Amino acid sequence: MAEKLGKIGRKSIWLFHFNASGCNGCDIEFAASVTSRYDLERFGIQLVPSPRHADVLVVTGAVNRLTRDSLKMIYDQIPEPKVVIALGSCACSGGIFNGCYNVAGGVDKVIPVDIYIPGCPPKPDAIVEALAKLAGILEKKKKNLKGEKNGSKKD
Amino acid sequence: MGARKIEEYLEVEAQDIPSKVSEITSKGYQHLVTITGLDEGENIGLIYHFSKPSGETIHIKTSVKKHGSLPSIVDVIRGAYIYEMEVHDMFGIIFDNNQWMKYKLLLPDCYPLDEPPPLWKEADPDKIRKKLYEATSAACTLTEPISGTSMFSPESVVVPFGPYHPALKEPEHFRLVVEGERIVQAIPRIGFVHRGIEKAAERRSFLRDIFLLERICGICSMHHSWTFVEAVEKLLGLEIDKRAVYIRTLVAELERIHSHSLWLGLVGYWMGFETMFMWVWSIRENIMDLLELIAGNRVHKSIVTIGGVRRDVSDEKLGRIKEKVASFEKRFTEVMDDILTLDEFIARTSGIGKYNLDTARKLCVVGPPRRAVGDGYDIRKIEPYGAYEEVDYSVITDMGGDVYSLVKVRMLEILESTRIIQQIIEKMPSGNPVPKRAFMGTVPKGEAYARTEAPRGELFYYVSADNKHNPSRVKVRTPTLANITLAAEALKGQTLSDVPLVITMIDPCFSCMDRVLVIDRSSKSSRVLDERYFRRIRRKGGIR
Repeated sequence: MAEKLGKIGRKSIWLFHFNASGCNGCDIEFAASVTSRYDLERFGIQLVPSPRHADVLVVTGAVNRLTRDSLKMIYDQIPEPKVVIALGSCACSGGIFNGCYNVAGGVDKVIPVDIYIPGCPPKPDAIVEALAKLAGILEKKKKNLKGEKNGSKKD
Repeated sequence: MGARKIEEYLEVEAQDIPSKVSEITSKGYQHLVTITGLDEGENIGLIYHFSKPSGETIHIKTSVKKHGSLPSIVDVIRGAYIYEMEVHDMFGIIFDNNQWMKYKLLLPDCYPLDEPPPLWKEADPDKIRKKLYEATSAACTLTEPISGTSMFSPESVVVPFGPYHPALKEPEHFRLVVEGERIVQAIPRIGFVHRGIEKAAERRSFLRDIFLLERICGICSMHHSWTFVEAVEKLLGLEIDKRAVYIRTLVAELERIHSHSLWLGLVGYWMGFETMFMWVWSIRENIMDLLELIAGNRVHKSIVTIGGVRRDVSDEKLGRIKEKVASFEKRFTEVMDDILTLDEFIARTSGIGKYNLDTARKLCVVGPPRRAVGDGYDIRKIEPYGAYEEVDYSVITDMGGDVYSLVKVRMLEILESTRIIQQIIEKMPSGNPVPKRAFMGTVPKGEAYARTEAPRGELFYYVSADNKHNPSRVKVRTPTLANITLAAEALKGQTLSDVPLVITMIDPCFSCMDRVLVIDRSSKSSRVLDERYFRRIRRKGGIR
């Protein structure tokens, strides 16, 4: 665990938190993970107020019709390479709200998701663990992005 | 007691509603709890729930043809407009002379016109969802010109605030009409967290509903399940084991502490006092540990079930809780003394978001915002439920009516909660709180209401059953819906830089309410208790 977290220490990861009609449960647990006991900031992970500064989009909630458009817009504003985390059961699949008339049923119905953190809500420990897996994914995406750019130049 | 079966109604013709309501209010029933809509086949039934400040309730019932209209009661009770908007959205009923009828409150603007309103029995959630997500028109038209624009001077500008804004933790949109720095009017648009839970609750069994309703809100989740279960137990005529009642009360008070301290941290955060945020949240973790110890989960406790609780709490655990709560109390008192006497804190919060008792009563405000202007409206006292009759505590009130006095009220309430918890653990009766098997049966025909004092204020549930496994109607009135009118009103006259603080003042929980609206206020400030007061009692050894 500590090794994995050490890896992400190489580059600070900035998160943008998006509440897509969540019940607040995941949101407060996410907020708890940046406060003193869990203290994500010691790994250089930080919350930013603008999606344009973010590497990672953390989405909570089952996504309703009103938030869907905003979610798409904010996803587009995040620079490449970007990683999307679906935090909590609702964000993963719609959870208990599946079948409600105003609910899309999961973040992956709207934008592509890289990491799913199930739980209702996930404990801060789970959030920290998932962020540890993040380094690899971001790294891979960066390589792919470079590959694409090089490839297009050759053409 | 906090719950009762509704045996009789005051039946009134739709046209006579305003006159009947003014008659009722003159008899002392000044607090409109909510307006419940019911689909009765050809007609829509409307129940107006009223309460006296001393706790007695009265229910007025009327019925209107589907797509029909009836006179609005906003002239009698100003706070009613938000409930009328809600009924308008969910049942398609028009309230004449309510100026907000043309706006949507909860539903997206692109709600399909050829589908019935969502809470009609014939409305099919799957069909509605399909059409909603295929609709290409905007879900929320934010550029729509505001009503009565001519009432503002030509210099006024509309500043959109939200739905996603760094100063909002939850999505919410406000259109702020400003003249220079001053806000002249605030027009909220909610519905960003609307999921359609009331409809879903009608289609699931009573047992499954407990878990669904709990997830209305992640902060006061236990109060939601408790209030619902109270109403169902009244319909079933169940007697609850004493130990179960005590455990419910214990968890509810722990939840109040966690909710209030969460809010305190956020207030610190919005005013740029991040130390306070980290400080309060770090001691709050102790309470989260206790919740995990009792229920196995930190946020959604799922402790309440029909007929009792789902887990017993062993005496050994109770001892640990007692110890931890005592040490929390000690640490929290230190924090409180320091924060409330800090000059910068007082300067930043006192006089911000001023409102008075009259406004609070007219808007039917509940919970700490009402107590912060001197009205001890607390369901735990006026209509006791759980074990609240058997413990000794006082209702905290203050006269300030601004952010500072709200901070004070909530801080003192936390200390009061720790006192309640200590008493509950001492008096904990023995018994068998866990029902032998989960409730799977049907509930006899009838209607009941239940109210509890959630951390944010009075939480109201109306449940109607029809000899079936699932309820025929569940109506939820969350405290934030009642209070959001106050936030909009208190914004008037404030500067733009105070917006986050004023909105946070009521401790909004948008996932709970998903509904809002407007206000006016002069901004002369007065402070009742100053820092000298707190220094004095601090010397005397703590605040109580």
